[in-house]
Amino acid sequence: MLDWLKFYETMIVFENVIKKFPLGNIALQDVSFEIEDNEFVFLVGSSGAGKTTILKLILQDTLPTSGTVMVNEFDVSSKKFHHTEKLRRNIGFVFQDFKILPEKNIYENIAISLQIMGISAKEVKNKVKDALDLVGLNHKEKVFPVQLSAGELQRVAIARAICGDRKIILADEPTGNLDPKTTWDIIKIFKKIEGKKTIIIATHNTDIVNSLKKRVLILKEGRLIKDIRKGGYEL
Amino acid sequence: MREIFTAIKRTPYQSFATFFTLFLTLFLSLAVFFILTFLYGMLGYVESRPQVTVYFQTQTSENNIFKLKEQLLSSEKVLSAKYVSKTEAYEIYKKLNKDNPLLLEMVTSDILPASLEIFAKKPSFLPEIADFLKKQSGIDEVNFQKNIIDKLLSLTSIVRKTSIAFFAYFIITTIIILISITHFKIALKKDEIELLQLLGADRFYIKKPFLKEALFFGLLSSMVVFLIFSALFFVVRPYLQSYLSGVSNLSIDFGFYNLVIWPLTLEFTAASFLITTLFGVFISIASTLLATQKYIK
Repeated sequence: MLDWLKFYETMIVFENVIKKFPLGNIALQDVSFEIEDNEFVFLVGSSGAGKTTILKLILQDTLPTSGTVMVNEFDVSSKKFHHTEKLRRNIGFVFQDFKILPEKNIYENIAISLQIMGISAKEVKNKVKDALDLVGLNHKEKVFPVQLSAGELQRVAIARAICGDRKIILADEPTGNLDPKTTWDIIKIFKKIEGKKTIIIATHNTDIVNSLKKRVLILKEGRLIKDIRKGGYEL
Repeated sequence: MREIFTAIKRTPYQSFATFFTLFLTLFLSLAVFFILTFLYGMLGYVESRPQVTVYFQTQTSENNIFKLKEQLLSSEKVLSAKYVSKTEAYEIYKKLNKDNPLLLEMVTSDILPASLEIFAKKPSFLPEIADFLKKQSGIDEVNFQKNIIDKLLSLTSIVRKTSIAFFAYFIITTIIILISITHFKIALKKDEIELLQLLGADRFYIKKPFLKEALFFGLLSSMVVFLIFSALFFVVRPYLQSYLSGVSNLSIDFGFYNLVIWPLTLEFTAASFLITTLFGVFISIASTLLATQKYIK
């Protein structure tokens, strides 16, 4: 059983991680880093640098070719790790393309992340309300995705990711499809939850990274070339 | 329920295909089940009738008949022999023709023959017993039902073998069709399934809506089949009643329980409903389980 009640100081550890794809493409080459509990980290690099692969490895959506990936002291890179569902229930994921189900309304789209955990309907209602309040969409719970703008859809996705006391939030290019103003609205939401959850945002938006002055992991062609504690970067 | 109706609304053609496939299979299966149970009931009925009936000439004395009865019982080939006197024969005749006074007026007990109703220990003894009786004096006629039993046995055997082949073919075809339909539904919900997996849903949670829908269609189709079949049965009931007019009841002996199938009893109706429902639910759930096992990784 996964003991998620206990959270360790070091939340994520990558140790000499190599990821090769079957056709020989190398996504990650000897990548090592540590991320503390409740830390806010940007993962930056151009397309194909390995940002998404790192997020997938944390989610156990893929396994490394070699090396170790530890999440809250659990070795999720091991083939013997059979608690993927439990691991993922502690991780919220925000996608560039939102992944909002079109046939469900906003409330249902968020509630789904709690229902899978077997949480009671009453508790689901309260938690969804809290999440909608946080992202500023409390008046739109009955609305269907087709009636929302891209920025609003991304806010729904964030609400879904933070719902259910998920300890880690992974965001893959969360502002990739958004205009500059909406991008900042989304970043403000991440700022609101800063310090309460471990947040990893994969992006190549230099403006955001440079202005927030958070830790930055810079990737290039699958290698971790820089780990800047409070910094920015240039493409 | 709302979840199921939403799923039906989203994939109406697949839902109708599932319903009609199950309906056809269950309807034909129920028809075959009825035919088989009635054939077995008929077989049991015929087997319970006297296997050899010997009618004596009216002038044959009762003493001679009893001597012959003793002779038969001591042969070790006869299980039992029941004497039916002229008076008893007349009572039976009166009972059978109670609605026809003209026939009752025409006949008196004098003209009806006395008879012996004989059950053999083995069906193979029947021709021998019949031959023996034919050679005796004072005998008018010897009837034995071996041919009827043999014909019924062979007919039941043919229907049973055909039914097994039919069931095997229909079950396999239905399962393949239902697996294909479920596969299609899974493909339509691919994005939702992927999202649920990323959110940490376990396999059963993902399979649950498909299984709920399968249970719904299994129950719905078996109920509709049963209702339509019952309505049809009541339409043909008068014809069946006239065909089986001389038969007091048909039943199947399970050893521990004797199930009366005709006249139609509540037990037989309930058993048919239960079997249809269980079969419908089983076939529907089994196909969905196979499909989800294969296509939801």
